[in-house]
Formats: sequence, structure tokens, C-alpha cells
Amino acid sequence: MGEVNRRRFLERMTALTATAVATPATLGAIANAGSRFPGETRAGSRAAAGRPDELKLPPAGRPQPAELTELTLAEAARLLRDGDVGAVELVEAYLARIGRWDARYQAFNTVVSRDALEAARTADRTRGRAPLTGVPLAIKDNYFTAGVRTTANSFIFEDFVPDFDATSWARLRDAGAILLGKTQMGPLATTAASTPTGERTTANAWAPHHDDVSPGGSSSGSATAVAARMAASSTGTQTGGSITNPSNAQGLTGIKPTMGRVSLHGILPLTYTRDHPGPLARDAVDAALMLQIMAGPDPADPRSLGLPPVPDYLGAVREDAGALTHPERGGAVRIGVLPGFLDEPEPPEDPAPDPDPDIDRIGSSFPRRERTQAAYRREVATVEARRRMLATLEEMGAEIVALDFPTHWEALTSFNFNNVRLPERSEIFLEHLRDDVRKFGVSLAPWINGLLLPAAEYVRGSRARLVLLREVLDEVFARCDLVTQTAPFPFDMVGLPLIGFPIGFETGSTGYPRPIGGMFGAEPYAEHHLLAVIAAYQRATDWHLRRPADPGELRPAEGNGGGPRGGAGGSAGRDRSPGRYDLFDVMERGE
Amino acid sequence: MARRPAPPRSVTSSQEVTDEQLDAYIHTRLALLGVDLSVLPADDEDAPADQRRIMASARRFLRSTPGAIADFEFDPMGPAPVIYPAEVSAWNRG
Repeated sequence: MGEVNRRRFLERMTALTATAVATPATLGAIANAGSRFPGETRAGSRAAAGRPDELKLPPAGRPQPAELTELTLAEAARLLRDGDVGAVELVEAYLARIGRWDARYQAFNTVVSRDALEAARTADRTRGRAPLTGVPLAIKDNYFTAGVRTTANSFIFEDFVPDFDATSWARLRDAGAILLGKTQMGPLATTAASTPTGERTTANAWAPHHDDVSPGGSSSGSATAVAARMAASSTGTQTGGSITNPSNAQGLTGIKPTMGRVSLHGILPLTYTRDHPGPLARDAVDAALMLQIMAGPDPADPRSLGLPPVPDYLGAVREDAGALTHPERGGAVRIGVLPGFLDEPEPPEDPAPDPDPDIDRIGSSFPRRERTQAAYRREVATVEARRRMLATLEEMGAEIVALDFPTHWEALTSFNFNNVRLPERSEIFLEHLRDDVRKFGVSLAPWINGLLLPAAEYVRGSRARLVLLREVLDEVFARCDLVTQTAPFPFDMVGLPLIGFPIGFETGSTGYPRPIGGMFGAEPYAEHHLLAVIAAYQRATDWHLRRPADPGELRPAEGNGGGPRGGAGGSAGRDRSPGRYDLFDVMERGE
Repeated sequence: MARRPAPPRSVTSSQEVTDEQLDAYIHTRLALLGVDLSVLPADDEDAPADQRRIMASARRFLRSTPGAIADFEFDPMGPAPVIYPAEVSAWNRG
């Protein structure tokens, strides 16, 4: 089957298994071995307790060049720190994969090979001690990167070259990370990655020959770059699922932090109130490492000020952290399960109804997904994976708590209340709308709709946000610590944290395994709880260790709905007309 | 004297409006803002956006979203508008 089981890979790498698989216990040491994290002092930093003997490790093994890109972010950081791998060889390994495969994946819209290699040479020469020294990252193309084009895949910014770095990228850069390139995204952070006119760009790394398999959006290229081992980790932004959806679609662990936890300064906005920057990573430990560096107050973004101190995320994912015991309350971590999470899906009518071409999918309810037999089978597999995931967590000591929806959940998380965000984007881009609406390409409709929502309704919708949050806090988090979520929008609407992570696989229309994702939410600024539980879950499971095979090892399945992306075999070329995203498909693919 | 806030309740908006009324509203609103849809092709499925689809989307939006939001009633002494609720919860935690 077209898949790499990373556990087998690690078993092959005996030396690495012995020495370089960074345990959370050593991550604290990594994080504190060099310069202090950029940003503010962390309160209660248990990572600082990393004992010196934790750094005394057996002689490190050197992974083969082809195996360098299999390393997690934490593994790579540790090998780089110990001098067992050089930044140049690591960057060259990633650039080699990008050169070989990205014509097929189209995860990047800009690759800065020369600058990356120069930065790697500097890292090797100076042997910096910052935690991410020499680690190559992919950055979503709505983050300002000084001197590097930042387009958000839009006509509006197609020639824009910022002269400073977004705060969160600057923190990663100051921690030693190296920019490999900017990733493909939905235009202005709407829908899955496409050109401004809607031509699909980025493939799902698990189905590189199949354009009907969404990579998840809008941080599509960021997800594909990590899943396809073309970057150690990446950044994304989430307004309506754009970190958790692509993470779920591609077997990654992505965390959307609470509003304000990561500065939005220097990130092209889609909204003021719902944009959240965060990492897409190979596992919860990597996500913790990325978030630890990205998070913190920033005087340039008042939304990040006056908040609780940034917790010790690296300490939370340590193996000895007692992840399934609540760190403050004591006792078992309580996982709330909302109605419907484990409901068996109804079979579709046979034959499944054709989609109505006249349905405007920005309509009165959440857009419908065509429920084909393949979609139904995936729903069944998803429920089974959810059952297994909860059973595993319960066996590990978590308490599973059945909950009801909060009082006004259905009304206040509806498509209509979700639309309260639209005037924000219209205001942000009003000058461009007045100049020429064609600049918005395929994603124009919600910008126009945002101009049509009166202020009274915007204010009322903003009152509703507080009602929703109070009900979530009083009726959900009074009874549990984490809660299952099946869609990102409710917690995006009120700025609560979410984590997406792999919980299984299903073989669908492509004939290849495709990841199934799970999602948990938590109270404001409780990202450490999410990371702790998922890190523990990942120590007990191996879904996060699986990697997709390279495109050359996969053959397109016959008879799949969307048709193959190209021929089988090792060709890195791809169809030039892979199709266009529907103008009204935004909500299905995230933003 | 402060009144005890009543819980929100949902009622149903039943105003029926025609496409022509909505089109006039949309065009007037956009004209007031200086936003011009006429630069788009009138009806071209192959174009990234056209006037027909944008207007259809706008009409559907107007028929659903403003009314649904307005239908969710609050007591006047109910919650103030908060656009950053998660942060407010942290700021008020003391």
C-alpha cells in the first residue's frame, strides 16, 4: 500500500532510535539550551527544569541523506544542535524533494533556495544555540517575509514584497529557523489553494494524482509541504478551519490557538476577530515546539496583550507530564462528547442525488456535501475511528463525559451567525473593492455580501458571540476539560483553541489510505491541555507516524470521481488544467 | 431598576421580498459605496466571477442572514457586543 510507516523507518534507523528521537523530556533541554525564546518570559516554565544529564546522550547516529526529511522538527532540531546533522545537508535534502516532487504537489508558490542555503551555511558556521537553529520551515504566503514576495495567492498582492517579517515568523527566524519558501493557499485565505481565478494548485500529499481529494484549506500548501516531507513544519492561519481542516486532511497535528495567543501583526488579514495564526506539524510535540516560539505578547498587536502568561507547552508534552491528569484540578482529564459525534451516518439514497447546479452554496444553511457512496463509507469509517480514539483515551485514564449542546448552540453556530465575520473582510479591502472587483477573482462573492450586512446585525451578532462563549464555558467546560468538535466554525467564532490530529485511515475512491482526523477544543488559553492530551494519545497510537508514499510510488485508481492528476510512475509533471474550485465552495474547504 | 435579562429566544422573520426589490437594494448599496459590478461579465460560467452569480449569491445572503440574526432577540439589558469574547473572558478572570 502506498504509505510509509514511520515506525518501521525508525526501526531501520537504529542509531536514531537510540539517540535522536527527541523525547519531550529532552525537548525542554533543547528549548532552553540556547538563547531564550523570543518574546516574553514564560510563567511556570517547567522546561527550565531540564536537567543537564538529559543532554548526555549516546553517540548520535547519522541518518542517511534520503532519511533527513523523515525527521520530525524536534528530531531535526536535536540532531542539528548536537552537530550530528548540518543545516546545509538538511536544507539540501528538503530542496531536493521540493525539486523532485513539487511540480506534482504544488505546495509552494515561492521557494527561496539560494537564501535558504546561505542561511544554512551561516547556521553551520556559527553553530547557533537557538532552539530551531538550521531547521527549514515553510511559511504560509500571507505571513510577511521581509524581502520575499507575499501574495496570499491574490491579484491584490501579486507584486507585494514586505520590508519586515510578521511577528510570529520573526520569532521562528530568531529561534534559528530557515525559510524554505512560501506556501500555496486559497486566495486571500479563502477556500483550498488555488490561483486567484480559482484554478486548483495544491495536491493532497496522500492522493497526489487525484484532484478530487481536497488538500484542505486554506493552508493547503503548508499542510502538503509537511505531509510530503518538503518542510519540517509550517505555519498557517485559521478563520474558518484553515489549520485544523488541512491538518485533518493530511494526517498532521495542527493547533489553532486562542485569539491573541499568537500575534497577527504582519499577517495579511481576512478578518479582525477570527484570524488565528498557528502551526501545522507532524505531531503534537512539534506543534508544541512551534507554538512555544510563536506565542506571546506583541506590542504591535494589542489583541495579544494583557493575557495569561504563555504556558509551558513543551513541559505539557513531556512523557512524564501526567497528560491525562488535569494539571491544576487534579483527577482524570475529562473529555466531553457532544451529541452526534458518534452517531451512525444514514446511508445515502441510491443513487445519490445529483447536486443542484442552481444551488447557491452561500445560502441559508451550511453547504451540503454531495453524499455519494464513497462519502458515506468515509463517514462510517470516521465514526469508527472516533470510537476507537475515545476508547483509547479512556483506557489511558481519561474520563469520557456525555454532554448536551449548550442552550443556543444550534442557532448561534449557524451559517447565518458565522456570516457576521463578512463585513470585517469587506471593510479591510474596501479600497480594492471600489477600485476593481475583478481583483478578488474567484472569491469575490463573500466580499460583496459583507458589504450588505447592516451594522445593526453586526452588533447583534457580536452580542451573540458573548452569549455563545458564556454558554460554552458554563454548560460545557463546567463539566469537561476538552470537548469533541466536528466542525471548526463554532470555536473559531468565539476565538477558542482547537487541535486537529490524525485518528485513523480509510481507503476511499483513490484506492490509497487517506487520513481521518479528529478535533478537540478547550477553554481560552488552554492550548497546553490540548497538546498534553494529544501528545499522550500519540504515544499510544501510530496514526501520526504514517507518511504518504511519494507520487512515483502511487498509481492513480481507475474510475475515481475526479480523474487522475497525471500518469503513474515517477514523473514529477502534472496536468496543467486540474480544475477550478467552485465560486461558492468556500465554506467546505475552509478559510 | 435593572431588569433581569431574559434568555435569548428565536422568532421567525417572515418578510417576503422580490428579486427586483433585492436587486435594487444591492445596486443602491453598492453604488453608495462606489463598488461597481458592471466590470464583471454579465453571465459567463467560465469567468472567475460574473454578475449573475454574484447577484444570486447576494440575494440569497440577504434573504437569510440579516433576518436570522435579527430574529435572535436579546433583552435590552442583555450582553454587550464583544468582538473578542475569548480575550474578554481572560481579561475578566481577575
